[in-house]
Formats: sequence, structure tokens, C-alpha cells
Amino acid sequence: MTSSPSETEAAVETEPQAHPLQEYADGVADAVGGTAEIQFDTIKVKVPNDAWVDAHVTARDQFDLVFFSWLSAIDWCNEVEVGDELSEEVEERFELLTTLGDLTEGKRVTFSTDLDAKTPVIPSLIEVFAGANWHEREAHEMFGIDFLGHPNLAHLYLPDGFLGNPLRKSFPLLTREVKPWPGKVDVEAMPEKPTTENPES
Amino acid sequence: MIELLTDLFSNFWVSLAGKLALVALMIPLIGMALGFAEIKLSAKMQARVGPYFAGGRWGWAQLIADGIKFFQKEDIIPTAADRPVFKAAPMLVLVSTVALLVVIPFGPGLIFRDLSVGVFYALAVSSLSTIGILMAGWSSGNKYSLIGGLRAAGQLIAYELPLVLAVVGAVIMAGTMSMSGIVEAQIAAGFPYVIVQFVGFGIFLVAALAELTRIPFDMPIAESELVMGYLTEYSGFRFLFFFLAEFANMFTLSAIAATLFLGGYWLPGVPESVLEFAGPAILLGKVFLLAFVMIWFRWTFPRFREDQLQTLAWKWLVPLALANIAVTAVLKVVL
Amino acid sequence: MTINSDTMRHLSEAQVSVELETEDMTLNIGPQHPSTHGVLRLVARIDGERAFDVQPVIGYMHRGYEKICEVRTYPQITTIINRIDWVSGYANEIPFIVAAEKLMEVEVPERAQYIRLILTEMARISSHLIFMASYPLELGAATPLFFALRERERVLDLLESVTGGRFHPNFNRIGGVKPAAGAGPTMKKTSQDLPANFLPETRSAMDRVMEVCDELEDLVAGNEIILARTRGVGVIPVEVAAAYGLSGPNLRASGVPFDLRKIEDYLPYDRFEFDVITGENGDCWDRWHCRLQEIRESGKIIQQAIDDIPSGDLLAKVPKLIKVPKGETYVRAENPKGEMGYYLVSDGKDGPYRLKIRSASFSNLSILPWVLEGVLVPDIIAIMGSLDFVLGDVDR
Repeated sequence: MTSSPSETEAAVETEPQAHPLQEYADGVADAVGGTAEIQFDTIKVKVPNDAWVDAHVTARDQFDLVFFSWLSAIDWCNEVEVGDELSEEVEERFELLTTLGDLTEGKRVTFSTDLDAKTPVIPSLIEVFAGANWHEREAHEMFGIDFLGHPNLAHLYLPDGFLGNPLRKSFPLLTREVKPWPGKVDVEAMPEKPTTENPES
Repeated sequence: MIELLTDLFSNFWVSLAGKLALVALMIPLIGMALGFAEIKLSAKMQARVGPYFAGGRWGWAQLIADGIKFFQKEDIIPTAADRPVFKAAPMLVLVSTVALLVVIPFGPGLIFRDLSVGVFYALAVSSLSTIGILMAGWSSGNKYSLIGGLRAAGQLIAYELPLVLAVVGAVIMAGTMSMSGIVEAQIAAGFPYVIVQFVGFGIFLVAALAELTRIPFDMPIAESELVMGYLTEYSGFRFLFFFLAEFANMFTLSAIAATLFLGGYWLPGVPESVLEFAGPAILLGKVFLLAFVMIWFRWTFPRFREDQLQTLAWKWLVPLALANIAVTAVLKVVL
Repeated sequence: MTINSDTMRHLSEAQVSVELETEDMTLNIGPQHPSTHGVLRLVARIDGERAFDVQPVIGYMHRGYEKICEVRTYPQITTIINRIDWVSGYANEIPFIVAAEKLMEVEVPERAQYIRLILTEMARISSHLIFMASYPLELGAATPLFFALRERERVLDLLESVTGGRFHPNFNRIGGVKPAAGAGPTMKKTSQDLPANFLPETRSAMDRVMEVCDELEDLVAGNEIILARTRGVGVIPVEVAAAYGLSGPNLRASGVPFDLRKIEDYLPYDRFEFDVITGENGDCWDRWHCRLQEIRESGKIIQQAIDDIPSGDLLAKVPKLIKVPKGETYVRAENPKGEMGYYLVSDGKDGPYRLKIRSASFSNLSILPWVLEGVLVPDIIAIMGSLDFVLGDVDR
């Protein structure tokens, strides 16, 4: 959390300027009982698990964050089946994210909470925002997160008999199994010189 | 040579066969002519050229090619369909169209059969197509067709009434139900009835559009919702029958409108002797004018929703037509 | 017993409640259907002409974008993300590129930003013209299709002349736009720029687009049948729209002047003057009208941008192998269909750790069960068309 410019001048030179939204972010964080962080113009408020639904109710009623943008999750896992491994060890968990916005000033806040990696369970937001319906269905089928109180957690995208949760890091990409990707090359090497020589010349 | 032919055709059966052959020949010809008008006119309205390659320069053979294409297609009948009804439906629709041609006067004396109840017969026969469409919708074994068929039943029955009531005004003015009799009454009066019966003419046109299930009244087909409505499962020559029936029906209803309201084969100022051979041309000209208006409406307007369509028929057209009859009758007695 | 008004009402209600026992029908609209904008399946339970339970079934076009993007490098992702909403191809790349540039803290040259803005607005015009073409067709009017698509061809030809692709431009690079069409790194920068007559031709194309907007307005806007089919149909109040995440012209038609071009700074929109178009009632007519007016506004923006475009580089200095430092950010943009956003989680590698794609049509479509409650079957098509979604955007 960056702090406001302090009184001493030396501190002003070394510490970065406060983000213009810092005050707002702190206000939101205090109201919902979490901690705020601003990274690259994105306000992220981390709330504990049991305050998840209440945080959204407060955000909607008190801060006018009525626009439900999206809900999704990140699978923090140290052993990845696809892609590269993480550069440093993280605590294995699912991080559930939602983004809410307001319709008058254009502020947006991303709320996040950590779910247990083995049994990710959280109450559903469907009572607070009706639009969470489909987003939670997608998160359920992609990550295996169980939303308590959701009326219909059927598959949204995947076919009916599909087993597994595709967006988990432990779920392999099927095409990789069948045929390995030639490699993540950014610049292809020049083709080798042709070896055929003209017999006539 | 001429005497030989006149002797031949004075025989009832030979002349009957001749008339049947003529009617049967007219249907595809009219269908293709009006169909060609539709595709070229719609192309002009939409900033494109339309068929261009079939038959030389301006694609006049396009519909002939389409007809041959439809004929040689495989005859597909869905397994869930009710086979006899499925096969009979297009025939019924075409039959009602063909039967209408009988009472249209193409010139003084040029009429297949001058029935003394010509108007009555024409309107009765034209409503046979409703049964055909309902049969098509029901027997296809397809939910979309069913919805289309039921919509068609509702719409066609609803618009029969304005159609019939609109012509009553012209019949009152002429004093006869025979089609050629009405034309002669207009000749005697010196003006086509549309000048006085413009309300009836307007209602007849709108109801005719609805009877043809053309846009803006094409809920039964509703291409963007019901795929093709009651026509969904029809392909090949069965679809060709419906297609021909639609354009031929366009011709016959326009011809009836021209006869009853626009003076038929007569133009003011044309002497009787000229009418003998120019009559058909004049009638065709008027029919083409009305067909142009129908084509124009089709490509300009979207379609009405079913409840708006029914509201238009029952709450607007029927009372208007009844009022028209009342006013006409009163004025006929008074004047 | 005294007969009073209560008794009379009770008696009349008792008569009416004896209804015919009719079964309702389950009608499957789609996945192959002329009007469902792609492979969308609606399972509708209808009673006569009235539908009372419409459930969309999606996923026929699910391509697994988010999983694929986890195993691609950033330049490779640029190639594929313009296929999410294929109607407005260029606009899909912008929020992702801006997110990556934010994390890398790269400053994009001015000229590149202006070019991005011009091409994004052209993508918006292209997407809205498709809507202008297909929406009256769903209502039954076939003619506006030809007028709108004729002008769209001009815009697509211009896009192709610059980017090489009509629908999938793949023109953005991290740090700017693609320096040249087909040239390698040895060509001098001055010769790698927009085609020579792109700017004047764009100007005249915009004039034609404004004219076709007038033509469409004459043909469609005053038509009584169109008004009867769309006014008061599919009214979505603001609260419901916000709760479902409806965005773009759909939200603005309900009366909220919320336009991300004025709020976010992913492209230099603050240098141009344009209005935010709102509707009054939130019905299908307002959604149509908003999009028509937005075409005009985009034309205005493009004219202003062409007048002001600065000269300069097209691509900032970025390393050859792009590695984005650790961080997370969410960048959202005003796509033609609505709000499109990318939540980029980077771990310092050459590909993202997690890329969440927030697509506009997904949220726009999720409101269908709510708004299609108790409407007539033709209105299902009218409302669905007015939400203007694309299945690639819904299913990703």
C-alpha cells in the first residue's frame, strides 16, 4: 500500500506520489473490512472469505458500485501442467475476483478473496447481483468452485458429459498431449540454405 | 383453315380441353413473369442488379432455370410428416388460384366463363387456399411449420372479412355480381369505381396483401423467426407449386381489384372496337401497376406482429368496410 | 346475501378461471436458425404465441481462449484475440495491448495512438453497420441490409489497405502499431507508415457513411411498422441492466450516459469532441437509435483525428522478446458491443499467467431469461436482435 506524501521532504523525493484514487480505495476497504491495493490503476480490495457477500452489499449500497462487470478466479498453483511455472513459490489457493463499477463517475473496484485449494466453497452472489448467475456458472465449471445458494450450477460452455475443470493449472491441454507445440518462438530462425546445386552450371 | 378450327372448337369437349390447356399454360407464364418483375424490381430498390447472366443480358431466363432446378430436385418428405396431406396441400393452394382465373374478363367477351355470381365465386374459391396452408403447416411434422400454419389460419380467416366486405361496395354500385357485368357498368358510368370507392379499394389491397401472406403480413412465413413457416419442409417441385401459386395469386387478386375498381380492360376514351384486342393489354397494364405496388411494399416494410395484424383486421378494416357499405348503399338509394 | 362489487368481481373471476387445458410447447430456437447471430440455442416454452420461459444454451463456439492464452506469448496472443468479436475485429486487441503496455510501463508514440483510435472507430462503424443491416432484416425489412453493407465495404476496404485484414487485423504490437506491411526490420522507419491515400480516402468514406446514416434514418426510423414492432418492446430498466452487467449502447439506451471512452484513458479520446448518446426508455427502438447516432459520432471523431494526426514513430522501443514484469491489472475499453476488458495477471514470463477476458456479449446475453419473460414469439427475435451480441464474444 503506497502511503500519502509524508511531511519530510526527503520522504517526498523517495516515496512515490499517492495514487489519486488511494483515498477512495481506502474508504472502500475500510467499509468492507478488507485491505486495498492499487496496482497499475486497478484498485484491488482483498476481503476475508466470510465477508464476501456483505462486502458486495456494502459496495453496492454505500458506494454506488451497482455495475456488475465480471466474476472469475485465478488458480495459484506451483506445479503447472501447462505453461510455465511460477517464478516464486505462492500459497496454493484459488483467488476469486469480481469487478464492480459505478455508473456516474466511472470508478471500478476489484474485490478478491482467497479460497482453499482443495475444497473451494463460497456463498453465491446471486442475491446481490442477478448478473452473477452466469459468471458463477462459468467459474464453477472452469475451476470447480462451489457456490452455495446458486440455483443452477449446470455446465454453461462445456458439453454435458465433460469431466474436469479446464482452467485449473492441473488440467492439461488435450492438444498438447496429442501433438506437442513446436515451441514458443518469437522470432523464427532463418531457413537453412538450400543444398541442391544446379547440375547444369 | 379458319373454318376448320371454328368447327373444331364449337364442340364443347374440345373447347373445354382448349380452355383447360390455356389456363394451365397461363399459370406458369404469369408466375414467371411476375416473379421476374419481383426479382428485378427488388434489385433496383436495393441498389443491385439482380439476375444478370441467365439467358443473355438481363437474366430473363432466371426463373425458367429456377423452375427446371426445382423440378429435378429430390422429393424429400420428412418421416414424421403425414404423407397424403403433405402431398395434397400444395395442390389445393394451386387449384384455388387456377380456379380464380376462370372469371376474370380479359376483354369484352374474353372470359373463360362469365358466371352471373362471378364475384361471389371468386371470393369463395380464393379462401380455399387457407385450408391448403393449414394442411401444409400441420402435416409437416415440424413445430415451426405448425406455428406458421396456425398463424396463417388466424391471419387468413381474419382478412377474408375485409376482402369480401370491400367488394360489396363495388357490387352495390354496379348492381350485378358478374365480373364482366361490373366492367360494363363502369363503362356505362364513364368512370372507374376507384374514384368513389377509394376506401374499398384501399381495404381490398391491404386484405389482398394479407391473403397472399406477403410482407407486411407474412407472419405465417416469417423468414427470420420460423425459418419458412409452413413452407419449411417443402422442397423441390412441391415448393415450386407454392411459389407459382403465390405469384399467380398475386396476378389474380390484382386482376380482380383492377376489374372491380379500376375498370378492368377498359380505359376512358378508348372505343369499343379497340377494346376487343387491346383489352387484355390494358388489363395487364393495370395488373402490373398493382403488382408493382405490392412488390414495393414487400421490400420497404417489415412485418407486423401477429396481434398487431389481428388488431388491424378486426378493429380497423372490418368496421371501415362496413361503414363503406352503409354509405354506398345510402348514397345509391338517395342519388 | 348482499350483492356488492366484491361479489360481482368474485363471480366474474370464477367464470374466467375455468380455462381450456392446453399444453405448452417447447420450441427450440437454434442452434441453426436465421436469426440467432451464430450458434445460440434458446429453449423456449411457449403457450400459443407467448413464451414464458426462455433459457439460452451457449457454448457451441467455446474455443477455450483463456486456457490458450496461458500457453502463448504476448505477440502470439495479439494474433488470436481479434477473433473474439469478429465483427469488430480491431477493437478486441486494444484493451489487451494497453494492459500489457501498462505492466511494461511503455509509452506509446502519439501517432500510433491516433492510428489506433482511427481504426478502432472504424471497427465501431463496421460493427454498428452490421447491426443496421441485420436488425431490420429480422423484423422483415430486407432493404436496409444492402444500403448498410455497401458502406461497410468501404470501411472494410480501408481497414484492409492498412492492416492487411478485413476482419482480423492483427495490427497492434506492444508499444504501438505494426510498422509496415510485410517489410522486415531492415527497412527505414520513414517508409513504414500508412498507405499514401489512406487519410483522404477515409475522409470521403466517412462522408458516405454519414449519408447512409441519413438514408437509413429515412427508411427505417420513421416507418410505422418498425415503430410498432420496437417501441415499448423489451424495456430494460437501468437497475436491471447494471445488475446484469449490460454495457455499451444497450446500457445507454436505458438512459445512462456512461461511455468508457470518456472515462478511461486507454486511447486519447479526451482530445476529441463527441457526444454520448442516450435513449429514453430502454426499449428496442432506443437501442437501434443509439447505434445509429453512434455511427455519426464515430464519423465525427475520425474526421477530427485525421485533421490532427501527428507525425512520428509507429512503434516504441521494446525488446525483441517481450517479457512483461510481474503485476495484475484490469483494462476495460468501449467496444462496439459494450465493455470489453482484460484482467491480465503476469508473472514476469513471456506469456500471461492468467488472462481473464471480460466480453461484452456474455453479459448482454445473460439478461435474456429476464427480459424474455412473457413476450410474444416475434418479440423474442426483435429483442434478441436489438441486444446485438455475437456468439464468438459470448462463448470465447
